[in-house]
Amino acid sequence: MSATSTPTRGRLYGKNVLEATFRAAPDDDLFLGELLVGVDDATGRRYLFRVVDVTYGSEHREPGWAERVAGTMLADDARGDAGAHPLYEQERRTYRVAECRCLGYLTPDGKDFRKPKSLPTQFSRVLSPEPSDLAFLESRMGDLHVGVLRSGETVVDVPVGIEGASLAKHVGVFATTGMGKSNLMMVLAGEAMRAGGRYGLLIVDPHGEYRTELARHPWAERRLRTYSSVRALGASALRVSLGELTIDDLRTATGDTSRAQEEALFELERFYSGEGHQGLSWLRPFTQLDDLVGFRDVELGKRVALSTLQVLQRRARRICSLDAIADDPNVSVAAAVERDLGEGKVVLIDASGLGPTEELLVASFLTRRVLDAWSTAFLEDRDRHATMPTIAIVLEEAQRVLSAASDRDGNVFPRVAREGRKFKVGLVAVTQQPKLVDAELLSQFNTFFILGLADERDRTILKSSAKQDLSALSPEIQTLMPGECLLAGVDAPFAVPARVHLWSDALRMCPPPPEPLAQPAAHVAAFLD
Amino acid sequence: MSLAPAPLTDVADRLAALLRGDADHALVSDGDGTGDLVIDGDLVPRPLAIASTPPRAVWAIDGGQALVRDARCLQVYVVRSGRCRYEGRVCTLEECGDLRAHLVGVGQRAAELARLDGGLGLGLDCALDVNLLRERAEWDALERTLTEAQSGDLVLIDGDLRPDPRIPPAWFGGLLEAAHDRGILVVGVTKHTSLARGNAPLLGQLERDADASLGLRTRWWAPVGHSSGRRGALFTVVAAKLDPDAPFSFRVDVAAGTDPETALAALATVCDDAAFPGYPYPLTVADRLAACPPWVREEAWFTIEDQLARAGVPVDVRDRAFTDRHRLMERAS
Repeated sequence: MSATSTPTRGRLYGKNVLEATFRAAPDDDLFLGELLVGVDDATGRRYLFRVVDVTYGSEHREPGWAERVAGTMLADDARGDAGAHPLYEQERRTYRVAECRCLGYLTPDGKDFRKPKSLPTQFSRVLSPEPSDLAFLESRMGDLHVGVLRSGETVVDVPVGIEGASLAKHVGVFATTGMGKSNLMMVLAGEAMRAGGRYGLLIVDPHGEYRTELARHPWAERRLRTYSSVRALGASALRVSLGELTIDDLRTATGDTSRAQEEALFELERFYSGEGHQGLSWLRPFTQLDDLVGFRDVELGKRVALSTLQVLQRRARRICSLDAIADDPNVSVAAAVERDLGEGKVVLIDASGLGPTEELLVASFLTRRVLDAWSTAFLEDRDRHATMPTIAIVLEEAQRVLSAASDRDGNVFPRVAREGRKFKVGLVAVTQQPKLVDAELLSQFNTFFILGLADERDRTILKSSAKQDLSALSPEIQTLMPGECLLAGVDAPFAVPARVHLWSDALRMCPPPPEPLAQPAAHVAAFLD
Repeated sequence: MSLAPAPLTDVADRLAALLRGDADHALVSDGDGTGDLVIDGDLVPRPLAIASTPPRAVWAIDGGQALVRDARCLQVYVVRSGRCRYEGRVCTLEECGDLRAHLVGVGQRAAELARLDGGLGLGLDCALDVNLLRERAEWDALERTLTEAQSGDLVLIDGDLRPDPRIPPAWFGGLLEAAHDRGILVVGVTKHTSLARGNAPLLGQLERDADASLGLRTRWWAPVGHSSGRRGALFTVVAAKLDPDAPFSFRVDVAAGTDPETALAALATVCDDAAFPGYPYPLTVADRLAACPPWVREEAWFTIEDQLARAGVPVDVRDRAFTDRHRLMERAS
């Protein structure tokens, strides 16, 4: 880190411990989110800055100076005489001012990165970071790498990712359409496959967009299990039995269940449980009822409105008509999914053949099943639980089940958000609209992957919930390009700007799994002797 | 002895008459007429062509001043002269000039004149004020510049080429003559002039004339007069709009011996800065270099205070001497 080898980008002149302002040359191509280093020669510390805004500056203090210059040039342009009035010595009369957040500083020995608590010497040089300035990040970027560090628009060769164990502390993936959510999820799933069984992912894919792509991963044969609601090569049939489902699953899935409908569901459950039905297995006979009026009057004592019963029967018929819904508990995939996750596999539930309600019904059931299994192990056999992989349940359009309105008793997803971490079960909530997620639930998420978000309200809710200070990063989030993200989490020292690997690149870079160890030949001679 | 009323309406009426051009148009003057300007130009704007090549080098000189502390009977001033040189569009010299400190007031004249004289022979009865201090520094910078400039160079002065009456005419006239002999062109540009026609500001009238006769986007000049030489310097005075997009025209003094149009054509080559078309950019730089902003004034006072302290002058004494009582009382009211 010689004092003279790196060109000076600017000189620090103002602000406070947490913020910095420096002057740069008028043609210095400063970018929002760019990482720069303030070198304090007096103390030997190297302060890491993030550019949060760039503005124009001028030596001229006369009001309207810049507008007048622009006006003169514009008039030249209008006459077709561009350049008739050059600005003499523009490089000296004008400059750029970069507003920065101070992210922390490297101690003089370069070993520790600490939060900012002091001011660098005024007029310190500001430089582009050298590899050694960012090396400390490598130890904090976990074992699931999804991309590389990004400084403005420049990619820096430092991997960016999360610690797999932090999956249990919940991950949010926020982006508007086309900003790279699906790509990020596939890269994350690929990393989970490579982790050798330490982490299991249960991905509920409503659009069927992951099945083909994840299957291309070099580790997929060993580490990916796919269950599909449609016939698909390499996928097992997705089946759950009615008897395994609960009214809570149904309420979670339907979302807009009215009070009267809830009461009716409980009346029906009470009636059918008396006939020996378990779970929602009573849906089948309920769908076969022809005389709803008589059933209501006689069996339910007129305690339920006929119109309510009719609505519930229509829903029940739709659920029961699905191939994925079986009466026979023995065909259910629940046990297999639980086993796969226990082995640290990525389990993909291709729900593209299901409607949104049925998709959530399946997701709710499987999530509850996993949470019950992991919590039971935690409570009854801590040693076994300690050997179990950390599980993350990936939910697309998570606002459907994590909104304030949906946070009711019986909804398993808020329960996972609040209690899952101690059982090593977390959520990966993918949504375009974080503003619709309950703020209290959002605060349970320790890691945010923030991709481009256009809506100010979405950015605002994230700023108030993130574990890193995002207060000045609104413009940066707004200007993120597809594939660019900010990673904010408790393990990262600051909201880390990253470029997510393209899935195709991730596949290319991923080494194949090691060959299985050869079985030793039987020592036959020992038996003969 | 009662005062006659002086209402604003009366002033407005008289101004209106002047600005309408009611007064005699033949009456052209330079302020109150105490200068040495002979008005003999035709005051007719005519097109000005810009030189195809700029001068080898363009020098610019300006002076700056600041009142550091004022005890009324004693004032501490700092002055300096800034100068710069441009070759092409590249600045090849910049000087802020030494900060010169002066104590002006009761009993200080002899000491200050001795420092200012430098062989000029200012005379012991010469009145001393900040104008003389600043001009002396400026003309000193001009003298140094003329020794460094080469034939074909253009030397710009901020203001006219008429020196303060206390500056010995022979010395100043000699400077301009020497410059001419060496082929160096000396030009003064006055941003705010007292030239008048019909007792109203002249340049605004010429600008309107030029707009009407030559069109809005025209580079032009108009002969105004010449110096009488009473103050030693011989120069031609013109009005000129030095860029088609210039918002204003200026008074330009061209040292004698040079065709004004040729000089203006050369001057126009450095008047195309987008920030202020029509004003020579090197002069704006010299102005910045010579400026004595508040921080310079305070730094100067800190230095003096340190020395006062070392000399055993109590703080209380310093404060009582230099507190601006008038300003404090104004604030108090």
